[in-house]
Amino acid sequence: MTDNAVTHQQVIAAAASPAPTVAGTGQRRASASGTPFTRALGIATIIAMAVLLLFGLFLSPADVVQGESVRILYIHVGTVWVAYVAFGMTAISSAAFLWKRTTSLTWDRIAGASAEVGVLFMALTLFAGALWGRLAWGKFWVWDARVTTTAFLFISYIGYLAVRGLGGSHQQRGRRSAVVALLAVLEIPLVHFSVKLWRGLHQDSSVADTTHVKLHDLMLFSLFLALVAFTLLYAWLVIHRQRVMAMQDALDDKGLDYALQQRRREGDL
Amino acid sequence: MFRTARLVAAKDLRIELRSRVVTNQVLPFAAIVMVMFAFALNTDAVVERVAPGLVWLATLFSLLILVQRSFAIETADGATDAMRAAGIDPAGIFLGKALALAAELAVLEIVLLATAVILYRQDLRASGVVLLVSTFLAATIGLALVGTLYGGLAAGVRGRETLLPLLLLPVVAPVLIGATRATEAALGTAGAVVADGWPWLGLLGVFVALFSVGGTLAFGPLIEE
Amino acid sequence: MDDIGFILATYIATFAGSVLLATYYLRRARRLAAQLPPEDKPWI
Repeated sequence: MTDNAVTHQQVIAAAASPAPTVAGTGQRRASASGTPFTRALGIATIIAMAVLLLFGLFLSPADVVQGESVRILYIHVGTVWVAYVAFGMTAISSAAFLWKRTTSLTWDRIAGASAEVGVLFMALTLFAGALWGRLAWGKFWVWDARVTTTAFLFISYIGYLAVRGLGGSHQQRGRRSAVVALLAVLEIPLVHFSVKLWRGLHQDSSVADTTHVKLHDLMLFSLFLALVAFTLLYAWLVIHRQRVMAMQDALDDKGLDYALQQRRREGDL
Repeated sequence: MFRTARLVAAKDLRIELRSRVVTNQVLPFAAIVMVMFAFALNTDAVVERVAPGLVWLATLFSLLILVQRSFAIETADGATDAMRAAGIDPAGIFLGKALALAAELAVLEIVLLATAVILYRQDLRASGVVLLVSTFLAATIGLALVGTLYGGLAAGVRGRETLLPLLLLPVVAPVLIGATRATEAALGTAGAVVADGWPWLGLLGVFVALFSVGGTLAFGPLIEE
Repeated sequence: MDDIGFILATYIATFAGSVLLATYYLRRARRLAAQLPPEDKPWI
């Protein structure tokens, strides 16, 4: 406890002077959430994105049926893939956190980081999907089971993030949000199933007939590239977000320790 | 567990009977919602066509209020904490509160159905009675279960009034779809036949089964300190 | 090429969104890291 308070005072003193260097690396990044690995990952992501831009916008041909609008699909498929991977990751990490709750909050942080990144990508997916739908079908939105489920997933995870922000202890946040994440896993297939049943009675989904795109080799390559590039981006974002969250949690704990120490010292005087 | 549930449910219902919040505030709210729907939808034909959906929408809106109310009486005096400190099984609290909520919802739904029959000119028919009653039962239990589950989560935290709808409405979407279609079939709205309703009742059944198990397991960790 | 606006909107929104989130994380990380001793940053 005393050690903590002492280091903390030192740290606060150090923070007052600009650009603190830690462990003699001499690089400011090293003191934040970056490591050589994440930096390499970041560079790989940027390269992959640049190549995707090149292929997606210029090198790949226009589709015979859909024309140029197929270029939106590279983004759309990449983001939706990441969004669903992110939510899967959230579910798995939440289960892991509940399974051995005595271990650490790392699982909880991964779940939270993944959900946050997933929400961004879900928003981008819905945006890209709406624009593509407008070009391909003439409408921004169709009441297709997949589309509707995606929207529900988006809203559900915004709710999940709100639950994470409720406050309380870190353990409490972890337990509460993990339960909510697992309930979402219960809810989403049910929503998908009921929307499917609902549409089934009204009309055939208008998606099926237009998504049969005959894929040119370069198109297939661009799609694959998009998956790789967005997966790299996802990994980079989640790692950094998780570290930011770990630092925030540590600050919450240590900050309180520090305040308690100070009060105690005041009491001694 | 079931003894606890009975006691908690009896306590909640006794509080409601004495305070009359449900009868004096929630029921009038639901009724005015039904009238407002008619204003918004304007023509008789449209209102008659969508009446079952409106009944369930009004039920969902009222559910949000009922859940808030159900947990407001718990957190007001720290009653949940006291019950947990006394070592009472959280599963029992969950089932008890869900039971009380289901009873309140049932009263509300009967009034809403009567409103639909009168204002929206729905016809009750003998062949659809079994489907109608079982649909209302299943939907009521399902709504009470998820309402209690998420209500318990949102209870006692800042901003719960806004958090609860955000969490609850996406989850009850299958109930809205299933109950509306089944009710349409039971009432014969737009020429629907009774036989069409049974798959939807099945959907409601799956919902109830999932959330009765999931809710009983999840409620403890959710309200735990 | 009537679709060019929609295509560009998609690409710009996606890349801008990703870059904004990434810079937000990095800035927050730097601000927090300045207030914490190295033992709270086990990845270094």
